[in-house]
Amino acid sequence: MGQDFYRDRIPGTPRFREKDKKKPIGSEPFWPNFLLKEWIVGALFLVAFTIWIIFNPVHLSDVADPNPSGYIPMPDWYFLFLYQLLKYFPGKMVWMGTVVIPGIAVTLLILAPWLDNSKARHPFKRPVATTSMILTLLLMIWMTYEADVQHEEALAHLPKQVDKSAMPTDTALVDEADPGAKIYSASCAGCHGADLKGSVGPFLLGIGNKHDAAKLEEVITKGFPPNMPAGGGLTKPEDIKAVAEWLGKQKQQ
Amino acid sequence: MLKKTYDWIDERLNITPIWRDFADHDVPAHVNPANKMSAFVYCFGGLTFLIIVTQILSGMFLAMYYVPDIVNAYRSVQYITDEVLLGNIVRGMHFWGASLVIIMMFLHMLRVFFTGAYKAPRELNWVVGVLIFFVVMGFGFTGYLLPWDQKAYWATAVGAQIAETVPVLGPYIKTLLVGGDILGALTLTRFFAIHVFFLPAALLGLLGLHFIMIRKQGIAGPL
Repeated sequence: MGQDFYRDRIPGTPRFREKDKKKPIGSEPFWPNFLLKEWIVGALFLVAFTIWIIFNPVHLSDVADPNPSGYIPMPDWYFLFLYQLLKYFPGKMVWMGTVVIPGIAVTLLILAPWLDNSKARHPFKRPVATTSMILTLLLMIWMTYEADVQHEEALAHLPKQVDKSAMPTDTALVDEADPGAKIYSASCAGCHGADLKGSVGPFLLGIGNKHDAAKLEEVITKGFPPNMPAGGGLTKPEDIKAVAEWLGKQKQQ
Repeated sequence: MLKKTYDWIDERLNITPIWRDFADHDVPAHVNPANKMSAFVYCFGGLTFLIIVTQILSGMFLAMYYVPDIVNAYRSVQYITDEVLLGNIVRGMHFWGASLVIIMMFLHMLRVFFTGAYKAPRELNWVVGVLIFFVVMGFGFTGYLLPWDQKAYWATAVGAQIAETVPVLGPYIKTLLVGGDILGALTLTRFFAIHVFFLPAALLGLLGLHFIMIRKQGIAGPL
């Protein structure tokens, strides 16, 4: 490197230092010259960081519920590539993804100075080291991206959270002896709840206020694919009609 | 007065050479962005340290309010976020800082790798750096559970399941992590202890080594 490549005096270097001709051109003492500049960069960095924090508040999800639920777990973003790696070794082979491949990667990383032991330091003069690191990087980025895409897909297939805010306060069922009620409890209660309060599917209390029996029959026949199959699991049209008639009577407020 | 106090201590302990060595060492031209803007890649290590300092500080303040038990953990985090003065800022700083440390540390590692700075005689410092990387990943893994929300709980549950698949040692690693058969109260206190006592001790020790070595060996020369 030609020394005239640099300016003779760099900003912040006190004049009295310049007579120190033994020092290589361009170098400066850590204290106070370099630290002052570092301090300025650090301060600007912290200001930017704080602004980011103010505009990106952190939200808690719901309190932890240890009962197995439909919650799809997701590690923090910097573990995603490892998480994705496991997906390529399903079943009994998973130890390949948990131990073998990460183990090899970690060993290579720790031993890098001994594996890449030529004198050359410029990345272009160490093609093996440079290429393998770039390939590993691309692979990690791609796996992180892929894990995110697959997570979004899984979320899209999850049944929507049932909103119960509009559920009537009156929860007494109308005409529980109705034949439609029996069919309901056999085929529909699994998703909509035995008490019509809903579970995976929406609540049906007060459904009679919104729709009459004819409309309900039509809705059940069509279903809501993919969450609710056409007919809602009922095959006979007269069963559907019976359930629809019973549901039409549910006019809780 | 200050001068007298300093002289009194210096007479006894001879502290001047210690900080003089640190203060007077020359920063070479090729790592100084004031010379050449492209030298900014040499700042990643220092920035990593800066964020680690903010993580330690924000973590200390969070620990004043956080309660590591399964009944109160979630509520205490809620309290920090919603009630405590500037609590959401401190929590935000710790939350975003966690990602930022990883990013900066990774960039620092890439800089060292691509400039071949780990070559002789600096191999040991590289090894210590890789160990720091793993300690920081450990911080991320244990810290993720502490808010005790759904996201935290299920991510850790999966983590424990993954640990269990390790041949032979798996079940032992899982017990070591979870502290029992189920992920619950013991897991939370365990992760808390690891996050605020074990890992910080390891991190500070390794950082000390990292800095002593770089001071002794100096920054690798220009390419």
